[in-house]
Amino acid sequence: MSSPVTSAKRDTRSEASLKAALQARKAKRRARLTPYWLIAAAIGVIVVGTGYPTVWQLVTSTQKYGLAQQFGTAAEFIGFQNYVDLLTDAEFWQVVARSLVFCFVVAAVTLALGLAFALLMNAVGKAARLTLQISMLLAWAMPIVASMTVWTWLFDTRRGVVNYLLDKIPGVDMYRFDWFASSWTFFLMAGIIVTWMSVPFVAFSIFAGLTQVSEEVLEASALDGASDGQRLRLIILPMIKPVIAIVMLLQVIWDLRVFAQIKILQDAGANGSQYDLLGTYIYKVGTGAQDFGSAAAASVIVLALTIAISWWYVRKLMKEDV
Amino acid sequence: MKRKPRVGLSVLAIVISLIWIFPVYWMLNSAFLPTVTLESFTPTFLPLGGSWNNFSSAMSDGTFFSALSMSVAITLIVVFFCILFAFLAALAISRFRFRGRKSFVLAVLLIQMLPAEALFLAQYKMMSSLGLLNSIVGVSIIYTAAVVPFTIWMLRGFVAGVPADLEEAAMVDGLSRFQAFMRITFPLLAPGLVASGVYAFLQAWNEFTVALILLPAEQSQTLPLWLRGFVQASATRATDWGQVMAASTLVAVPVIVFFLIVQGRMTAGLVSGAVKG
Amino acid sequence: MKKSMIGAAAAATAAALVLAGCSASSDDATTSPSADASTGSSDGAMTAVSADITLWLMGGDTNDDLRQYLKDTYAEQNGGTLTIEEQGWSDALAKLTTALPDADNTPDVTEIGNTWSPTFTSVGAFSDLTDMYDELGGDSLLQSFVDVGMVDGKNYALPYYFGSRSIIYRKDVYDTAGVEVPKTLQEFSDNAAALKTAGMSGFYLGGSDWRNGISWIFANGGDLAKQEDGTWVSTLSDPKTVTGLQMLQDLYTSGSNAPVTEFDSTPWININDNDSTGKPEAATIMAPNWAHWSVGDTSLDDDGNVVVGDDGATAVRTWSDDKFGTFALPGVDGGAAPVFAGGSNIGVSASSQHQDAAKQLMTIIFSDEYQTMLAGAGLGPANLDFTSALGDDQFAAVNIEAASNSKLTPAAPGWAAVEGSGLLEEFFGKVNSGGDVAALAAEYDEKISPLLNN
Repeated sequence: MSSPVTSAKRDTRSEASLKAALQARKAKRRARLTPYWLIAAAIGVIVVGTGYPTVWQLVTSTQKYGLAQQFGTAAEFIGFQNYVDLLTDAEFWQVVARSLVFCFVVAAVTLALGLAFALLMNAVGKAARLTLQISMLLAWAMPIVASMTVWTWLFDTRRGVVNYLLDKIPGVDMYRFDWFASSWTFFLMAGIIVTWMSVPFVAFSIFAGLTQVSEEVLEASALDGASDGQRLRLIILPMIKPVIAIVMLLQVIWDLRVFAQIKILQDAGANGSQYDLLGTYIYKVGTGAQDFGSAAAASVIVLALTIAISWWYVRKLMKEDV
Repeated sequence: MKRKPRVGLSVLAIVISLIWIFPVYWMLNSAFLPTVTLESFTPTFLPLGGSWNNFSSAMSDGTFFSALSMSVAITLIVVFFCILFAFLAALAISRFRFRGRKSFVLAVLLIQMLPAEALFLAQYKMMSSLGLLNSIVGVSIIYTAAVVPFTIWMLRGFVAGVPADLEEAAMVDGLSRFQAFMRITFPLLAPGLVASGVYAFLQAWNEFTVALILLPAEQSQTLPLWLRGFVQASATRATDWGQVMAASTLVAVPVIVFFLIVQGRMTAGLVSGAVKG
Repeated sequence: MKKSMIGAAAAATAAALVLAGCSASSDDATTSPSADASTGSSDGAMTAVSADITLWLMGGDTNDDLRQYLKDTYAEQNGGTLTIEEQGWSDALAKLTTALPDADNTPDVTEIGNTWSPTFTSVGAFSDLTDMYDELGGDSLLQSFVDVGMVDGKNYALPYYFGSRSIIYRKDVYDTAGVEVPKTLQEFSDNAAALKTAGMSGFYLGGSDWRNGISWIFANGGDLAKQEDGTWVSTLSDPKTVTGLQMLQDLYTSGSNAPVTEFDSTPWININDNDSTGKPEAATIMAPNWAHWSVGDTSLDDDGNVVVGDDGATAVRTWSDDKFGTFALPGVDGGAAPVFAGGSNIGVSASSQHQDAAKQLMTIIFSDEYQTMLAGAGLGPANLDFTSALGDDQFAAVNIEAASNSKLTPAAPGWAAVEGSGLLEEFFGKVNSGGDVAALAAEYDEKISPLLNN
């Protein structure tokens, strides 16, 4: 038989433990809720900034929406007609094909150069490394409008430095060469410019990954007699594969969506549809031809295309314990 | 990597640096030369006998300063809020297991894939109905929303790179979670935050397609729009290239200065594991 | 005496312009008598509530003096402040599309390219100005521009200014080569071919420059589109159009060194002596008539530096009659060829919350003083009564001559979409690259027709 004192003590103890248990559960719930609080702000701003326009775009892609609709006439719902019209338009597929080729070529070149420069940064002494890094930084930091202005100037038919210097190579006649004349040279020019702008980011990211490669492993392999090439191929590259993968994914996404550089080049010299990539195509259909329904549908198609291209990586990422 | 620096590679690095920086040098060179010289068919490689004229004419009507203050205000706001929101979200993703985590990560990734060229009508309507056209707030919201997804991704790698064990250890020593975080984790994250800040800064500073639509009034222009005004010739004047180059330099200089100040911390930040797969 | 002759020519031209405008559409301008029938004189100051309004101008053609006059006069008459904002042509479509429907942010009055007027008036972007038509000038206004601003017999956008394109040539080069000012369009082509050298175009024409190139279509009796039973159809395949395009292709190939992708640019650079070679890049150019201010020789000051204008950067150029000359592009059978009628319309935004104040600004713009000032600045005034203020020098004479026969792009509701899609630049570029004209015309008719009838 418990005495009142003992039972009182037990009561307080059980009351205390009950309180503790309650508090622990509350803390656990709070902890369970914490991540949601943490992502709330990000979600909030994304929903406000991107949410309404995205929903609008999806809705408009199913409508016939032109200039009249801007001024108050109701928009007619036409289901998937915009999509059908686009997907059966040969010109649209030409632009898609062109964009894919441009995107993969530029991304590949950017990656190759970025990797090469990162390895270079890693292999040289401090002074040379800093020089290379600062020049990369300056290129990356230049605003697009400023750098595009300089680049169109450099490629100018009559007064451009590129033609001037290339013409000096014996046997090469670049006098008054018009880079805008054919779409091949136009996109070569665009490719050079976009690569120039993108390589710094890739170089820095991969360089960061390289510095993480453990010193001991490398020294051990050197002691084991591994050559530089073997070390690069068998140790370094595998270890930085994740960095390369994500940088590649980002480059592909960004290069597929490239818009500002192409638009500015077109304004500077040639704006026929053979010079269009998806970004400028959508802009021309929308702002140019005032067919905003089709432009919205085209944007959704490009989104689907981008997801399709990057699907293998996204799935791998989701499978891993992210 | 401590290795004997190889001379050949060092020379290669210098050569590449010079090639890569050529457009920047060309911009500076042209900014100091008079336009009449630039129009000639033989390029001039050194700005000997140049002057500051182009700069003073570019700044002559005073719009540079209002555009500068607009750009600075928007950029600082965007950087601050973007880092704050993205950091909190990155913490959530890396440190916590919660329902919907994977969906959130997936959504963050997919949002970056939406093309922006046709969104301007909706963005305009939205901002107009909120009364936020020609305002710093309106543009900042759109920019922050655009930059946050990638920043979350970038910071996630950093946060994951600082093991939770360090905090646990500090807590065992008697610190509260918050104190442990501030004293141990945060300093290790600082370089990463700086790196993300620089990225966000660049995005906000250089953007012009959204700004064109949401800041239609002349007095609310940002620097990229201000620059674009020079490039568009009127029917009665050809483009004044010298002025354009000087204006470009003026737009690029603050970024470059900012960069040079933080680059030490940033390369440290990138080095400590910025973008991990 | 020369002055009165030119004055008479101006008056005759004005009459011709009025008559020429009638061919565009069969609608008569309905005029409803307004309550206080005031004439188009300058002291018809309307009483409107004092309001701060905004005017959008396209590009830099309206100079600072004109802008200041508008601001000062508006402040005087209305008491409010007039803000003038300049929009670059390449961004203007996007800005007009977003801003005009938005009551809180619309410009109250805006200039709009004459080729875009049909598109925007037909969707209701502008307020009905029919009541003010007589007050603002009525039938003295340039009728072809009035017509593109009309929908169902009502006036929405009225003419602002017109300009035309004319030829500037190097007299010294022509004299050395023994070439005369051409009297017919074919002679013009022959001259260009004869003058062309590796370093100098006989006639500098960008391959994708349709605004200059359509003169050849118009001159041969063709057109870009026409209305059949209320539907607009692209008429590039019309035999007369094809003839004109063929002529253009031959001219470009044999007479021009300009890049095939170049569209409307700054051709006057080419006719001035180049700084390095001392020679011109072109013997002949076609340009809007105000381009003559940028043509001429530079001069050096005492320090050996090039004399620059007030902006501190652009070189001051002085025309000299023994080096340079100007004439109107000749037609196929002589006379003046129909050239592209450049210029703009102007209207009040339908969603503006200051309709009365905006209309008051319109009265200022169409006032005698302002119309005279426009002409004095070299911009053809909307009110043809004032064309004599353009002056009586050779430039004014050529301007008037060329304008007398100028033509507009089709007044189809979807025309702005055609321009915005870059289809014409593309088409002309392909034609001038040496393509099969008839085949290309058929191909592009199919692309353009669907856009015309929005």
